Amino acid sequence: MDFDPTPFNASEAWISWLRLVGVLSLCAIGLSFILAVARNGSRGVTIFAEGLKGFLSDLTSLNPRRIFALASLTFKDAVRRKALLVFVVFIALLMFAGWFISDSTGRPELQVKKHIALVLTSIAWLTLPVVIYLSCWVIPEDIGLRSMHTVVTKPVRRIEIVVGRILGFSSVATLVLGLMGLIGYGWILRQVPAEVQSHLTCRVPVFGQLYFIDPAGQPSRTGINVGDPWMFRSFVQGNSRARAVWVFRNMTPETVGDELTLESRFEAFRTVKGSESSIKSGMEAQYVLVKNPREEAFGGLAIGATFRDFADALREGQFNNAAERANELAEKIRTSPREIPEQDYGGLFFGSGAANQVLDALATQDAGKPGAESISALSGKFLKLSETVSALSKAQESAGNAPFLSVADDLASIAETLSADAELLRERLPRLEVPLPTFNVAEFHAGDNVSKIPRRIQFTADYETLSRFLSSRVEALNAEGKLVSGDALSAELESSLEQGGPMSPENARLLATVLNEQLSAGELVIADGKLSPSQNRRWLTFFDTLVQKEMLVSQDIEGWKLELDLFNDLTTMNNLRVEVACVNDQMYLGMARPDLFVRLPDRSFRVGYFKSILTLCLMMLLVVVIGVTASCVVKGPVSVFLTLTIFILGQFFHGMMDRISGGKEAGLGLVESATLIFQHRNPNAGMDASESTQNFVRSLDSVSNGLVKGANSIVPDFGIFQSSATYVENGFDVPFDSAVLPSIAAFLAFLIPCILLAGACLKFRELEAK
Amino acid sequence: MANEPVIEIRNLSKIYRDFWGRKKVQAVKSLNLEVYRGEVFGLLGPNGSGKTTTMKMLLGLLFPTSGEMKILGKPASDVSKNEKIGYLPEESYLYRFLNADETLDFYGRLFNMSAADRNRRADELIEMVGLTKARRRQLKEYSKGMTRRIGLAQALINDPELVLLDEPTSGLDPIGTREMKDLILKLKASGKTVVMCSHQLGDVQDVCDRIAVLFQGELKVLGRVDELLEIRDEMQIRTGSLSEEAQAEIRKVLDKHNVKNASIQRPRADLEELFLRTVRESGERPGRRFTTEEIAAGADKASGK
Ligand SMILES: Nc1ncnc2c1ncn2[C@@H]1O[C@H](COP(=O)(O)OP(=O)(O)O)[C@@H](O)[C@H]1O
Ligand SMILES: [Mg+2]
Repeated sequence: MDFDPTPFNASEAWISWLRLVGVLSLCAIGLSFILAVARNGSRGVTIFAEGLKGFLSDLTSLNPRRIFALASLTFKDAVRRKALLVFVVFIALLMFAGWFISDSTGRPELQVKKHIALVLTSIAWLTLPVVIYLSCWVIPEDIGLRSMHTVVTKPVRRIEIVVGRILGFSSVATLVLGLMGLIGYGWILRQVPAEVQSHLTCRVPVFGQLYFIDPAGQPSRTGINVGDPWMFRSFVQGNSRARAVWVFRNMTPETVGDELTLESRFEAFRTVKGSESSIKSGMEAQYVLVKNPREEAFGGLAIGATFRDFADALREGQFNNAAERANELAEKIRTSPREIPEQDYGGLFFGSGAANQVLDALATQDAGKPGAESISALSGKFLKLSETVSALSKAQESAGNAPFLSVADDLASIAETLSADAELLRERLPRLEVPLPTFNVAEFHAGDNVSKIPRRIQFTADYETLSRFLSSRVEALNAEGKLVSGDALSAELESSLEQGGPMSPENARLLATVLNEQLSAGELVIADGKLSPSQNRRWLTFFDTLVQKEMLVSQDIEGWKLELDLFNDLTTMNNLRVEVACVNDQMYLGMARPDLFVRLPDRSFRVGYFKSILTLCLMMLLVVVIGVTASCVVKGPVSVFLTLTIFILGQFFHGMMDRISGGKEAGLGLVESATLIFQHRNPNAGMDASESTQNFVRSLDSVSNGLVKGANSIVPDFGIFQSSATYVENGFDVPFDSAVLPSIAAFLAFLIPCILLAGACLKFRELEAK
Repeated sequence: MANEPVIEIRNLSKIYRDFWGRKKVQAVKSLNLEVYRGEVFGLLGPNGSGKTTTMKMLLGLLFPTSGEMKILGKPASDVSKNEKIGYLPEESYLYRFLNADETLDFYGRLFNMSAADRNRRADELIEMVGLTKARRRQLKEYSKGMTRRIGLAQALINDPELVLLDEPTSGLDPIGTREMKDLILKLKASGKTVVMCSHQLGDVQDVCDRIAVLFQGELKVLGRVDELLEIRDEMQIRTGSLSEEAQAEIRKVLDKHNVKNASIQRPRADLEELFLRTVRESGERPGRRFTTEEIAAGADKASGK
C-alpha cells in the first residue's frame, strides 16, 4: 500500500477553520460597509446597519416548513429536468464495460480493484455534470424568469431559498448516488469472478510505528538507501543485526481476536546475480516477535556516545556491569565534566526521561509483584537524573554554575540501585524473542505475505528464556505442592512436568534428574514442604547458573520447546513489537511504515463500499453548495465556469498549491520563470534586467504566490473525498478517523460559510437587475 | 381609522443603472404618495411610467435610489411585512411545471400554513377564480387568462390585508375583466386595501376610490376619482319620463333661466379624456404636478366645446 494514513485532528482543524472564517467574514462585512457608504454616502451607514441587523434576524427566523417547500420544489424541478436520466447512462455503461474489463488472468486483487474502481469512478464522473448543471443553472433561471419574484414577496427569508435549494439538490444528488451505488454494488458482486470473490473484503489494518536497527545494533530513524531517489522505502541489510522494528499499539485479544494476522508487502533488492530459480522463489524474510522492556526503557540512553556502554549493559540485562559503567561515568563527570560533548548530555536527558516513563508504566503494571518496588525506585532516580541534566543545560545556557556534581551523584545513586537489585531487575525486565518461520518476498513486484500467528505460540527457547521458563514452571509446581513429598522430591515430578506444557518426555526426565542431583548437592533445600534454592537465591538465578554450566542441554533434538501467550507474555503495556529481518546475505529488504500491518478481523466489503459512496456523496453535496453559492452571485454560465474551476483546482492542483504556499515547490516564481523563458536564460544565470526590474518582477511574484496561498485556503481539497474510494479499491476498510471524518468536516466547513455568503448575496442584490 | 395610511411613500426615486453604475433610466422621480386602509387605489400611467417599478420597490424587490417607504408600518426591506401582503405580478411568474393545486400548496407553505388550512384555502380560491376543472393541469398548459387567475389565487392565499395588483386585467376577456373588477370590489367590501396599476382606464374608473397618474416617473395627478372627473360649470338634471306638459313647463323655467340641459347631477368626464389630457399637457409642461382645480378647469375647457 502506498499511503500512510494520518488521523484527522478535529480540534486543530476546527481552530484554523474558525480563524479563516472569522477573517473572511470580517473582510466581507468591511467590504460591504465600504460599498454601502460609497454608493449611498452618509445614508450608507444606516443602510449598512439595517442590512446587517436584517441579515442576522433572518438567521434566527429560519422556518423548516418554508425550507422544505423550497426543497421539494427543487426536487420536482430536477426531476422535470430529467436529471434522473443519468441512470440510463450509468446502466448502459456498466452493461458494456463488463465486456472489456472481465479478465480472469490477472492477480486477484487487481481484478477486484478494476471492478470497484470502474464503478466508483463512473459514479463520480457521471453525477458531477448533473450536479453542476442543476446547482448552477436553476437559481439564475429562477431569477431570469422572475418566478423568484413571486417567492420572495412571500415571507421567505432569502437565506431560506439558499438552504432549501441546497437541500433539494442535495437530495437529488443523494438519491442518484444512492441508487447508482446500489446498482454498482450488485454489478460488482455479479461481475467479479467467483474465484476472486474472497478478495472483495475490507481489511482493517493497524499500522505501527517504524524505526530501524542498523547493522551495528543501534537504533536509527531510517535504514539503508539503496540509491533509488524516488523510493520512500528504507532498506535492511540481509544476514546482519539490522532489523526493521514495528511497534503496534493496543494489541489485546478483544481487538485482535485469537489469531494475529500480519500482512506485509516488502520490496526486495539484491546486489548479486542470482540463479533463475532463486529469483523466482524470491528472498527470505523473517518476523521476530520481541518483548524487550529493557530496550524500550534504556534504548534512548544510547544516543550519546559517552553513555553507550552504560546503555548497552542495561539493554543486555547485565545490571551489575551497568552499575560499574555508571560509577565510571560518575567519576568522569566529577573530574572532567567538560570532556563530555554537550549533545551527549542532551541524549542523557532524553534517555533518562524515556527510562523514567517506561519503568514507571512497568511498575504500575506489575504493582505488588516482587521487584516492582525496585523498578519504581529506579524510575524515580532516572526522573531525578533527567531533571538534574535539564537544570545543567539551562545553567550552561545562562553561563551559571553548572551542577555537574549533582549529575554524578544521581548516576552513582542509580548504580547503587542497579547493583543492589540486579537479580530482581533481571527478573522483572525479561527479553523474549520468538522467531517465526521465514517467508518469501517476491522480487519482481512488491510481494504480499499474510502470516497468521496463533495466540498460543510454541517456540524453541534461547538460554535466557529457558531459565525464565523453567523457574516459573518450578515455582508454579512448588506453589501447588507438587514438587515435594516428605523430605524428598515427589516421585511423580517427571510426569507432572511433562503434563503441564510442551516439554518433551526426555527433557522432563533431564530436569527431574538435575533437580534431584542439586538437592543432594545441597544447592536446593526443603523447608515446610516447599523446595527452594539454598542461600536465599532466586529460582531464576539458580536456573541461570545451571544453564551456564550446560547442565540443562536439551535431550530432545528439537530443543526446549516453550509455549507462550501472545498477549499476556509478549506485549508490554499492550504494545507488540515485531522485528523484521532479511535472512539472505547480500540482499536487502525495503520497507516503509504502511508496508506491514496487523490485520484485524475483516469487515464486509459492503460496509467499506458504502462508506466510500457516502464520501462521494459528500463531495457532490459540496459541489452543490459551491454551485448554489456561485449561482446566487453570477449568472448560470459564469457560475458553471466558476464551480468547474474550483472543482478542477481542488481536485488536481491542491497538492501543488499546498507545496507552493508551503514554500516547498522548487523553482522560481511565475513571472520570473516566464521572463527567463523569453530571455532564453536558465534559473542560475537569472534575469537579464536591471536591479529595479528584477525587484519589480520578484514583487509581482510574491503577489502571485500570495494569490495562490489565498486560493489554497479557500478552495476545498477534493482529494479528501476520494481517499475512501482508494481504500476500498485496494481492499481496505475506510477508516473513519482519516477518511470519513475529514470528508464530513470539509463539507461542513464549506457549507456554513457558503450558505451565509449566498444568503447575503441574494438578500442584498436587486432581483430585477439582470 | 379611515385615514390610517397603509402605504407611505416619501420622496421616492429610482434610477436604473447598468453594470458599470452608469445611469440608464430614471424610472421614478421623487414620488410622494399615501394609500389609506380600506380604499382601492389606482396607479395610472402610460407604459414605462414607473408603476411597476414603484410597486416592486414597495415589495422590496428593488431598492430605492433615495427616499423612504413604509408599508403596513414597516420598511420595505422587512420580509415579515409580506405576511399580510398579496402580490399579483405583471405577468404571472409561477413555476410552470406545477399544477394549480401544487402551486397553491407551495405558496401556502411559504406562509407557514398548516396542511388543513392550505387545502381549505386552495379549494376556496380555485373555486373563486373558476379553475376547478383545470386544477390538476400543469400551468404550462394554461391560457393567458387562466394564468392570470391562478396568479390572483396565489396572491390571495394568505388572506392578505393589502393586495398589490399589477395590471390585473391584462390578458383577460371582457367577462374575465368584469369578474376581476367584481372581485376587487369584493375585496374592498371585506375591508382590504387594494393598490392596482393599470392602463385600462375603464377598470380604474369603475373600481378605484382614488388614483394617481404617473408620467415618466413623475406624479402628475392625485385625487379622488369622483372629484377629478367632476365638471363644475355644468348641471345635469335627469328624471324619469315626463309628460308633455311637464316637459314644456320645465323647459319654460329653464328657458326663463337660459338653461339648456336637464340633469340635476354634475356630469362626469371620461377618465380616458382626463388621462389623455394629462399626458398631453405633461408633454407640454414637464415637471409639473396638476392640482384638482387645474384638472377641473381643463375638463371645463375640454367640455366647453
Ligand atoms: N430592469 C430594468 N432595467 C432598466 N430599466 C428598466 C428596468 N425595468 C424597467 N425599466 C425602465 O424603467 C421605466 C419604468 O418601467 P416600469 O416601472 O416597468 O413602467 P410601467 O410599469 O409603468 O409600464 C421604463 O422606462 C423602463 O424601461
Ligand atoms: Mg408595468
